[in-house]
Amino acid sequence: MTPSLALIGLPLVSSPLVYFAGRADRRHAAWSRIAALLSLLIAWVLFVQSATQFSMSGALDSTIGMITLRIDGISLLLTAVVLTLATFVTLYSDRYMMGEMGEEKYYALVIAMSGAMIGLACAADLFNLWVWFELMTVSSFLLVAFYCQRRLALEAGVKYLVQSAVGSVLVLLGVALIFAVTGTLRLDELALAGESLALIGAGGLFVIGFGVKIALVPMHTWLPDAHSQAPSGISTLLSGVVIEAGLIALLRVIGALAGIAESWGVLLLAFAAINMLFGNLMALRQKQVKRLLAFSSLSHIGYMLLGFGIAFYAGTPDGAAGGFFHLLTHGLMKGLAFLAAGALLYGLHLAHERHDPLTVNDLAGAGKRYPLAALSLSIAVLGLGGLPPLAGFMSKWQIFTAGFETQDLVLMLLVIFAALNSVLSLAYYAPLVNRMYRDHPSSAVQQGKPIPLSMQLTLIGLAVLVVAIGVLPSLVSWLTEPAGSTLMLALGR
Amino acid sequence: MTGTILVIGVLALIGVGLYGMMILHNVLKLVVALQILTKAAALALVAAGYMNGQLQLGQSLALTVIVADTMVAVVGLALAVQVRRHFGTLDTRALSTLKR
Repeated sequence: MTPSLALIGLPLVSSPLVYFAGRADRRHAAWSRIAALLSLLIAWVLFVQSATQFSMSGALDSTIGMITLRIDGISLLLTAVVLTLATFVTLYSDRYMMGEMGEEKYYALVIAMSGAMIGLACAADLFNLWVWFELMTVSSFLLVAFYCQRRLALEAGVKYLVQSAVGSVLVLLGVALIFAVTGTLRLDELALAGESLALIGAGGLFVIGFGVKIALVPMHTWLPDAHSQAPSGISTLLSGVVIEAGLIALLRVIGALAGIAESWGVLLLAFAAINMLFGNLMALRQKQVKRLLAFSSLSHIGYMLLGFGIAFYAGTPDGAAGGFFHLLTHGLMKGLAFLAAGALLYGLHLAHERHDPLTVNDLAGAGKRYPLAALSLSIAVLGLGGLPPLAGFMSKWQIFTAGFETQDLVLMLLVIFAALNSVLSLAYYAPLVNRMYRDHPSSAVQQGKPIPLSMQLTLIGLAVLVVAIGVLPSLVSWLTEPAGSTLMLALGR
Repeated sequence: MTGTILVIGVLALIGVGLYGMMILHNVLKLVVALQILTKAAALALVAAGYMNGQLQLGQSLALTVIVADTMVAVVGLALAVQVRRHFGTLDTRALSTLKR
């Protein structure tokens, strides 16, 4: 078995084992966490082997019967982000999830969801892509409604399930339409199918169907509820990789229908503009920290779409590479933000057995009582706002330069619009930082319990990554450049 | 002829499913409407296979869809049980505290 095939299969095999490890000894659900960490460790080894092979010989195909799974630049990038966040989340959830009902299911589902995303990134035909997408979606339903005794979590779960399920039916109808017209489902053969009205219709179904998962405005309404009601580790994964996995699925399929790449580019750019503006405006009026971060995900999807839209519309490779770079940095930064907010939530509320949401007012004066968590949250939100020398600045910069490289007036105006949006986003990020460092401690902070060491260590790890990528962006160019060129290859540019 | 009947069937199922999703307010009924909608997609795959002469492939895809969509139905029903237990009703209009 090749390392690439093992990398895809491992999480699916180990997910039930993780569950049984936790069930075997009912008093120590921690065994399932250790089993999860072990399987992530093996996945990392396989990832490094696959990445080395990829760097020597290009895309790696492995076949099971009629199914082809391909590891290329895009799959490597998504796999890297998935494994990084899943590892940090598993480490972090030690105390956060301890004693929760069904703790062992949590770890098993995290592994299953990560496996589904790795598979999704590697799928080389449309139907397979849908199956992995569905697997990822189902495991995320269960994780969003994980606190199933709480009304708000159930509400978020039902909304998410109904919207996502309709989205995936639309995707499936698109698949059927393409199958009927072209007789093939392989993405590389589709690229040769030329253009026809039916294919455009199928593309439209994909944009709406995957758009629900990517949270394109106006299909975004599940996102703020789901992100704010899920356990913080899951908010991290949802915001950091699940919506991005949907985006990659969309790029794969409309990349394969590249006969009319320019029109898809216009569509992506339009969604980019709407998402940026709407996400920022909605985030401005949020009082709960996790909802605020959820809305900011909308605007960041907008920046990624801007990069990809530039690549589709004008054929600029830097746009694609920049989009993927922002996908990576956003995953890390938003992951850090949700984990830091989760750590504060734990200290201020959960440790007191309260399930109140963490509000912006609760954070007042947190800088003195929780220096590390406050610093991590500040690094994360300032990075998201695009302040140098943090990771978010570098990735936005690459997208913006790509826009100016095209010398196209509309694109340049759009880049200026994105830059203004970036400034607008500081209007809700900066007050968070201000609150934590300049205000007097709120009553919640004064009565807060200490944050466990395991959480603090994961925060340090992610914060170091965010700063390091900001100072040395070339650290990850071995991931973002091949991903960009894979997309450009699919577009035939 | 068979192709036309299949296409009409697909469209009818889509219509019924989408209409149900829009007008129903009961979590259980929503799951049923969702099932109808997914069956439309499964039938569409069979129809597509029939039209391009790959009926067997189309049928096997449809079977896979039925398996995958059972997972969704199971999770949906599990959520419905919890909703009934904690809200005392299955009406989705009760599930609107997060709206803003």
